[in-house]
Amino acid sequence: MRRALSALFRHRTLAEILVGRELKARYRGTWLGFLWSFANPLLTLSIYVLVFRVYIRIDIEHYPAFVLCGLLPWLSFSGGVAEGMGSLINNGGIIRKVYLPTEVFPFVAVSSNIIHFLFSLPVLVGIMIASHLHFTAHTLLLPVLLLLQFAFTYGVALFLASMAVQFRDLMHVVPNLLLIWFYLTPIFYASNMVPERLRLLVWLNPLSLLIEGYRCIFFEHRFPPGRHLAACAVASFFCLAVGTWVFARRRDMYAELV
Amino acid sequence: MAAIELTDVSKAYRGQAQRVLSTTLKSFFTRDIWRRRAAAPPAAQKWALQNVSLRIERGSTVGIIGANGAGKSTLLKLISRILQPDAGRLVVNGHVAALIELGAGFHPELTGRENILINAVIMGLSRQQVSERMPAIVAFAGIGEAIDDPVRTYSSGMYARLGFAVAMHVDPDILLIDEILSVGDAAFTRKCQVALDSFKRQNRAIVVVSHSLETVASFCDRAIWMEHGRVRQRGPVDAVIAAYSEASLAA
Repeated sequence: MRRALSALFRHRTLAEILVGRELKARYRGTWLGFLWSFANPLLTLSIYVLVFRVYIRIDIEHYPAFVLCGLLPWLSFSGGVAEGMGSLINNGGIIRKVYLPTEVFPFVAVSSNIIHFLFSLPVLVGIMIASHLHFTAHTLLLPVLLLLQFAFTYGVALFLASMAVQFRDLMHVVPNLLLIWFYLTPIFYASNMVPERLRLLVWLNPLSLLIEGYRCIFFEHRFPPGRHLAACAVASFFCLAVGTWVFARRRDMYAELV
Repeated sequence: MAAIELTDVSKAYRGQAQRVLSTTLKSFFTRDIWRRRAAAPPAAQKWALQNVSLRIERGSTVGIIGANGAGKSTLLKLISRILQPDAGRLVVNGHVAALIELGAGFHPELTGRENILINAVIMGLSRQQVSERMPAIVAFAGIGEAIDDPVRTYSSGMYARLGFAVAMHVDPDILLIDEILSVGDAAFTRKCQVALDSFKRQNRAIVVVSHSLETVASFCDRAIWMEHGRVRQRGPVDAVIAAYSEASLAA
């Protein structure tokens, strides 16, 4: 893992340039441009509020802000995983013809989605203000959560990118799995609404821990329990280690299969 | 010390073969992940290169010729480390810049200038170095105002100019060129000739792959004739080209 990360470090300029390009290219040629960073989560949010708050009447105070605390990190995670998985295949043209550290592509997909999450935070600020909520110093834990989220997402993306090169079916399977994963993660419901006997389903999911963490610091004005953070850190770095290992083992085949 | 040295190098294309091999997830995990290196290539494997041994010295310009599918491009991809050999030993001494295929690594939506930055960084320059060399690169490319247009609007000649301009300014010890010299116009070809000559005098190695025997004859002093993944003949450029043309005419 150290070697893989040091290769990235040596090529950090390339990674930097590609992330910048990715962010610039995202909304190039669209009318609303950068505003889509705000409009997209707001549209999704309003559907959830309509269905779960108005129709189904979930009883959670300040529901829009509650959902958004989980929705924004989720969008960043699922975007990073989906784009990261396809990143080798989509950059096949360059991988086949230019020698470069291939992990830069999943890295760019995941980092640009994390940065994008940061860009969309003003939406959360807006919704919080509209609900007469405020931020506290607990928010300062954000970088730690972001680091964990990055490690987890990057690990998953490396693994899937490497596998998808050989098993293209994953490109169709994974979006469905992501949808299931979304419903199993406490984003539009609270973890304590899950029946006691199924609660394990929530806590075995590193994303639940992460999203509860974001919710703690933004919404509940407290630090997440230390053991949750520790469990999340162990899971994230384990994923990162497995992802980098698998990716490195299979490196030689990418230029031939993409 | 040779710039490039291959000893009994073989390369089989995995392509479909590999996909067929891993029919079950179990075989995939046991073989491909744990012992992929140890797995012997199946007999039916298609060899792109078979037992190729050659030496390319510093200060020489070598042309690789041969029919389609003879393994010329595979050879370049091995030297540039895009592909790994399945057997044999490959030693490359020095920094390699590869121009493999027109416009490889260019992003169609970005301008020529932006692409110069990305390409030069991929070839190992720092941001600082790129900005220092940018004027020289732009001047060498010589495509005028078009340098600030998206490269999707470029002609193939302009692609070649841009790619070549970058490669000439990243200080490679070894320059690999696949089929790019032939698309430029006379003026550019002349410019390349001058640049490559000065390259050679600086004791660097140049490997050119081309179907154009004229190109090879004018740029190179030695040639390698590849056939069915093996070296058929090598030596002074005129002799190899003569033998190759004779064989092609006979066939």
